[in-house]
Order: sequence, then C-alpha cells, then structure tokens
Amino acid sequence: MTQIITKKQKRWMQNPFIQFFKFIYLNIKILIIVAGGHGGTRDKADS
Amino acid sequence: MAKIVVLGAGIAGHTAASELRRQLSKKHKVVVVSPNRNYQWVPSNIWVGIGKMKPKDIIFPLEPLYKRKGIEYVQAKAVSFHPEGDDTTQPYVNVEYVFGERKGEQEKVTYDYLINATGPKLAFDMTEGLKPGTNNAYSVCTYDHAQHASEALHALIEKAKTSEKKLKIVIGTGHPKATCQGAAFEYILNVEQELRHYGVRDKIDLKWLSNEPALGDFGMDGMVLSYNGKPMKSSEMVEMIFRDRGIDWVLEAGVNKVEEGLVHYENLKGEYKTEPFDFAMLIPAFSGHGFKAFDVDGNDVTPKLFKGFMVVDADYTSKPYEEWTVQDWPETYQNPSYPNIFAPGIAFAPPHSISKPRKSPNGTEIFPSPPRTGMPSGITAKLVADNIIDSIKAGHISLQHKGSLGNMGAACIASAGYGLMKGSGVSITTFPIVPDYKKYGETGGRNVKKTFGDIGLAGHWVKLALHYAFIYKAKMKPFWWLIPE
Repeated sequence: MTQIITKKQKRWMQNPFIQFFKFIYLNIKILIIVAGGHGGTRDKADS
Repeated sequence: MAKIVVLGAGIAGHTAASELRRQLSKKHKVVVVSPNRNYQWVPSNIWVGIGKMKPKDIIFPLEPLYKRKGIEYVQAKAVSFHPEGDDTTQPYVNVEYVFGERKGEQEKVTYDYLINATGPKLAFDMTEGLKPGTNNAYSVCTYDHAQHASEALHALIEKAKTSEKKLKIVIGTGHPKATCQGAAFEYILNVEQELRHYGVRDKIDLKWLSNEPALGDFGMDGMVLSYNGKPMKSSEMVEMIFRDRGIDWVLEAGVNKVEEGLVHYENLKGEYKTEPFDFAMLIPAFSGHGFKAFDVDGNDVTPKLFKGFMVVDADYTSKPYEEWTVQDWPETYQNPSYPNIFAPGIAFAPPHSISKPRKSPNGTEIFPSPPRTGMPSGITAKLVADNIIDSIKAGHISLQHKGSLGNMGAACIASAGYGLMKGSGVSITTFPIVPDYKKYGETGGRNVKKTFGDIGLAGHWVKLALHYAFIYKAKMKPFWWLIPE
C-alpha cells in the first residue's frame, strides 16, 4: 500500500527549527558520501 | 611546455580548466574552446523556469574570468578532430568562431592533451514537433529555454484565473530514450507549488509523462533507499510525493510527436496514445554532436573516437542486461586509440544504459538513457585534469586517478518548491551511481548506508547553498578549490 505523508510529518518537514539541524546533518552526510572518495572497479573484480 | 585544450565550458570543462590552471605553472597553456560565452549553473535552471530566479542569477561571462586567471578562451565550436595532426602540425581540433569579427572563420587549435567536455546535444529534432516554445511545449535545459518556459507558465496561470475550463500541464520526457528525469521531477514539483501560490492549483491538472518503467527510476534502475531509517523503494517515495501533491502519472511512454496542445506516445504494450495539454515541459533526447575525426592522411577515423559520444575506456561489447557489470563502466575516461584524449562528464559514450532495456511489441525501445548529472561530471573532470597534470610532470601518461560511476556516490538534491520558509527539497544520495548487483545484491545494487532519501525544507536550503557555493567555486574566488565537486 502506498505510504502517505501525514500532517504531522508535513509539520516536521516545514519546521525551520528542526530543519536547521536536518540541514547540518544533510550537508555532513552528503559530504561524507560524495567527497568520501571514488575509484576504479576493475582491480577489485580481478582480485 | 604543454598545451591542454578543453572543449566545452560547462560543469566538466570548466572544472577541468580551473584545476589545470591552478596546479600547472604558467609555462603550460590551458585553452578553453566553447561556443557559449557564459558559464551557467544548470541545476538552478529549474528556478528560472518558474520565475524565482533570473538568468543573471545563474550565469556569468567566462572571458573576463579566464583572462584574469591566465586561461586562453576561444569562443568557437569544434568542427572536426585530427588526433594525428597533418603534415605540418601536431594533433589539432578544427574550430569555427561563433562570435565577433572572426565569426564563421575556421582555425586549427593544436594540443598536447585534449579534454572533450562538449556535453550533450539537445536533440529536439529527434521528436517530431518538439521545439522549445512551439506547440505550447517548453524546455528548461538552458537558461533561455527556462526563462521562456517561465513566461509561458505565468501566462497560463493568468489564463487559469479566469478560465471556466480546467487546464492541463504535462511534464516529463519527450523521447522514448530521453534521460534527465530528475530535472523534470524537480520542475513538476516546483510548478505545482507555483500553482498553489497563485491560487489556481484546483484549476489545473498536472500529469507526469515519462519513459521510466516505474516512478523514481530516474534512469538509474531505481533504488532502495533509507527513508526515516527504514528501507524504501524510490518508486514508493516518488509515488508518495505525487499522491501528496495530487499529480497523476503515465509511465512507459515513448513520446514520438508533439502537436499544438497534444502529445503522441507509444507505450510498452505497443499502444499508441495521446495526451492533451495547455502547457508542457518535455526533456528531449540527448545525442552526440556528430563530430568527425580524420587521421594524418585525411582518412575518416571517426569510429576510433566516437560512438555517438566519445569512445573511452569502457567495455562496449554488446551483451544482455543480465551480463552487465559495473566493470563495463570507464575509470579514466581516456580514449583507447589516442591516449592524450579524454572525455569526462556527459561527453563520454556510456557502455550501455543503467535501466533495464525494454522494447514495445512494435520494436520501439522505451527506457531512460543513463543520466549524467553535475556531480559526477565535476568529479570525472577533476580526475582527468589530475591525470593530465601527473602525466605532464612525469613526462609520460599517468592514470593514477580513477573514478568509475560504479564506485562513486552522487547526491541529487531535487527542489520540490522554492522559498526560504515555504520551500522544500527531496534529497537523495546514492552509492554507487551504477548499481553493483554483485557487491550489493541484497539491496538492489546500492549500499543502503550511503543511499538515503529525505524530504523537507532543509533540502531546499541545501540546494540553495549548493547554488551559491558552486557559483562561488566556478568564479574561482579565494579558496574555491576547497569546495569539493
């Protein structure tokens, strides 16, 4: 069954105070994932 | 002294040129050849498309910046490639000036290293009747297209205020194999918010029309992501958002023709259908630029360099979907025939799509092509620049820096509405971009610890922060290089 966004969740999504902390969290998370490195895949496949 | 020529000044070309200039001494020459006089931060086109930003907010002229930084700039378009040179010169690219006194004039631009970052050609001509600004159909692929779309959207909003009849907006893909569903997804959510803002939401139906097999495929075969700490399919997440916003959808639709107020498409069942609209924004197919390449004797060697887009170190062997692996994807973006030529960003030919290929009973292929967004474009351009820098310093080709889309993360911060307090964004990160079904077989090819989704105001702030940060970086202001790609 399709999930819905409840009114409570909407209030959470638009609450500037909560979202400020979310903003910090998202930036850190994105930085870790994206700037956390990248590389090849073939050496690993061979090994 | 080495001369590096960069074709294109988009996210990939500009990133590569900036990095080369920063790390190489002035005795080495960096030349950028681009027909566009402005740099544009493409991800913010969406906001131009709803009138919340002006083109001047997302562009700046390249020439003064390049002059200040010691990068030579040629406002021209590439015409042909000559990777072996001719009797009198080293390898060169034939370019044609597109502006100023020398407009129409051709010139040989020689190089020691060539970075082809020409991006895609927006192939509107591959869909009959799809041309921005005609037949009530628009595009947000460039800032001028987006501005035009915004004007038409606001005219429709004015019309809706007095119209007795319910109007309809269709947004999605305009070709059976179009990509960039993410941009269309952002646009439909921003348009929806704009309609609410002007109090006409109940007077306009919104429909998503896409070649995806499921919502949230985004040309990446969809993903299982962590949402509120629980696993959720991207299809479920997008469906949840669309239901919340009252957006209807049609999937598996290969658009083949656009007439005034009517889009024609074929679906995967082989049925031919139409969808009426009063305003549409349809993403066109992307194609290569149709460049030709010639050897030292003038023989056509185009297949060595191009396969639509540029041939690089990918495995282009034709094989069924079940046998595709992440190892097929390139790591260094180097052309196998000419080791001093590279193609990062969107300019390289992908080995195959990421989404599963699908065909209608009539033989029409209907599925998204692989997306190539800003973040991987910047990362691949930087690694290409780093390899060239190492090669110049070492005196031989060095390929220490690698970055396969099968071992690289990306963040897609999709705007879902503009406004410092009323805005919203859908933040999605994915690792890796190309699913590795062998390594992450249990979780749809992705590492769920690094693949997550979030919805809310913070996402809008992140996208806005990225807008300012990346324009700052592109302008090469103090310590710009500390901002990662």
